[in-house]
Amino acid sequence: MKNRYMNPYLAGTMLGIVLLLAMFISGRGLGASGGIKYCVVSIVGAIDRPHAESSPYYSKYFEDGKKPLKNWLSLEILGLVAGGFISGAISKRLKFKIEKSPKISNTRRLIFAFLGGVFFVYGGQLARGCTSGAALSGMAVLSVAGFVTMMAIFGSAYLFAWFFRNNWI
Amino acid sequence: MGPISSLTVFPEWLDLLIAFLIGTGFGFSLEQAGFSSSRKLAGMFYGYDTTVIKVFFTAAIVALIGSQLLSYFGLLDLTKVFVNEYYVAASIVGGVIMGAGFIMGGFCPGTGLSAMSIGKIDAMVFFIGGLTGAFLFAETYPMIQNLANGYYRGPVKINEALGISPGLFTLLLIVAAVFMFWLSEAAEKRFARPDITEEL
Amino acid sequence: MNIREKLSALLVVIGLILALLPLSGNRSLIVKPQKLLSEALDQNTFFTVDQVARFVVSEDSTILLIDLRSPEEFKSFNIPGSVNVPYNQLLDKDPSTFLGAENMKNIFYSNGDFDSNFAAVIAAGLGYKNNYVMKGGLNEWFTTVMNSEFKGEKITARENTLFETRTRAKKLFTDMNSLPDSLKIKFLKAKHFDPKKLDGGCE
Repeated sequence: MKNRYMNPYLAGTMLGIVLLLAMFISGRGLGASGGIKYCVVSIVGAIDRPHAESSPYYSKYFEDGKKPLKNWLSLEILGLVAGGFISGAISKRLKFKIEKSPKISNTRRLIFAFLGGVFFVYGGQLARGCTSGAALSGMAVLSVAGFVTMMAIFGSAYLFAWFFRNNWI
Repeated sequence: MGPISSLTVFPEWLDLLIAFLIGTGFGFSLEQAGFSSSRKLAGMFYGYDTTVIKVFFTAAIVALIGSQLLSYFGLLDLTKVFVNEYYVAASIVGGVIMGAGFIMGGFCPGTGLSAMSIGKIDAMVFFIGGLTGAFLFAETYPMIQNLANGYYRGPVKINEALGISPGLFTLLLIVAAVFMFWLSEAAEKRFARPDITEEL
Repeated sequence: MNIREKLSALLVVIGLILALLPLSGNRSLIVKPQKLLSEALDQNTFFTVDQVARFVVSEDSTILLIDLRSPEEFKSFNIPGSVNVPYNQLLDKDPSTFLGAENMKNIFYSNGDFDSNFAAVIAAGLGYKNNYVMKGGLNEWFTTVMNSEFKGEKITARENTLFETRTRAKKLFTDMNSLPDSLKIKFLKAKHFDPKKLDGGCE
């Protein structure tokens, strides 16, 4: 039994309404890569506290006894995971799976997944936002940064698509 | 009236609960759209599945229209909604790096998280990679901070940069999006891969 | 298919409406009460007449003196370099034209403290920064600066500087305000800033 995905235009409208709610209630847009950063910061803080406090990058997250995991973005990504799970449960899509082209091995897919994550979040930190935080939320508030970042992401993905085609098609 | 957070100070637990609920709506929408599948996301760049552009632009435009209308009726003060700041080099270079990450990993952080929740192992590995990427950035920060902080332009808005009203720009964006929706339909027919789309 | 067509049509119609609406960045008076209260209590939001006198005498270009009195009162005399925004017309035009400059200090004054305090609170509530009030208003200006006299035998260095500043401010005030009307208007026009220049940072 195939479980159809929601019509993309309806799903987009739903997503747009969620974004609008975030703007209306909390005065900000959505985000994702920022939450990942907070995870890393708190892990580093837990493992090597002195390093975190002396580094110019990490220290600002621990000033005044702040906890890097107790903020809007960290809770939002927790909700992301919960929401995805609920949707998957409702639509009967819960299943352990590795998605890839049948032409390549699982290992190769996982290696690229890992590398993809490294590049994406690294770039996201540089551009101060990923597709959700900078591109999507940025477009909704008409920011130039959001627009530029979005075009850079999609443009570069199209450019590199040919080189990685074997992984997908 | 809005943003409500600028009217009253939410107690911390409420602020975090709101964030959690919004995140839930976010993850739910992403997964319902099918973004929990990396092959579906990658399809955008090979033509066989253009869901990404449809969802992305519909969402951005719905939120844009909603906020403009609320602002017109005095229900939302847009000067109090965060506008991300423009650092020219960082936006472009970061975007290019992200594009590479997108096509390699098949996810973006938001979709990766929602995919992780339904059991996609490649998404979990993507997440671990993401943690590593953030860690790398933090550790190499002193070397890269000039690039990251340079060419600061502040929270510039597109309509200000172009010198037109927000409403007019919204219309232009809508027209561009509608054009792209039609283009995507044509692309899906041209680059169709029923073997992949059936399986998704 | 059908949803796409319906949605696109709907969006285009809404887009047309939005393009025709007079949308501007409307500011609303949304403030956290605690923040406003603490700003009102903070003494740093006041400048004494002596401080204003020093700004005026040294031609400090980072201040903007805003005279809240009526145009007739403004014409008869005003602090040199100030602009006239009658209190009852404060919000008639977009306040960003005179309050929106990033690095300028907006110093409100009127005859006493009443109007200027309110104006500063409204400006803060609308989100403008760097709002100050000249404590005591023009009444205090006259008492302290215009009527300043030195009584006594010796003068300390500090008192001397204060006295000097007041005297120079008094002279400037008298000179500028006794210009014939035509020259005054010219001078005021020269001091009238170009609203475009105030539109904050990024070109």
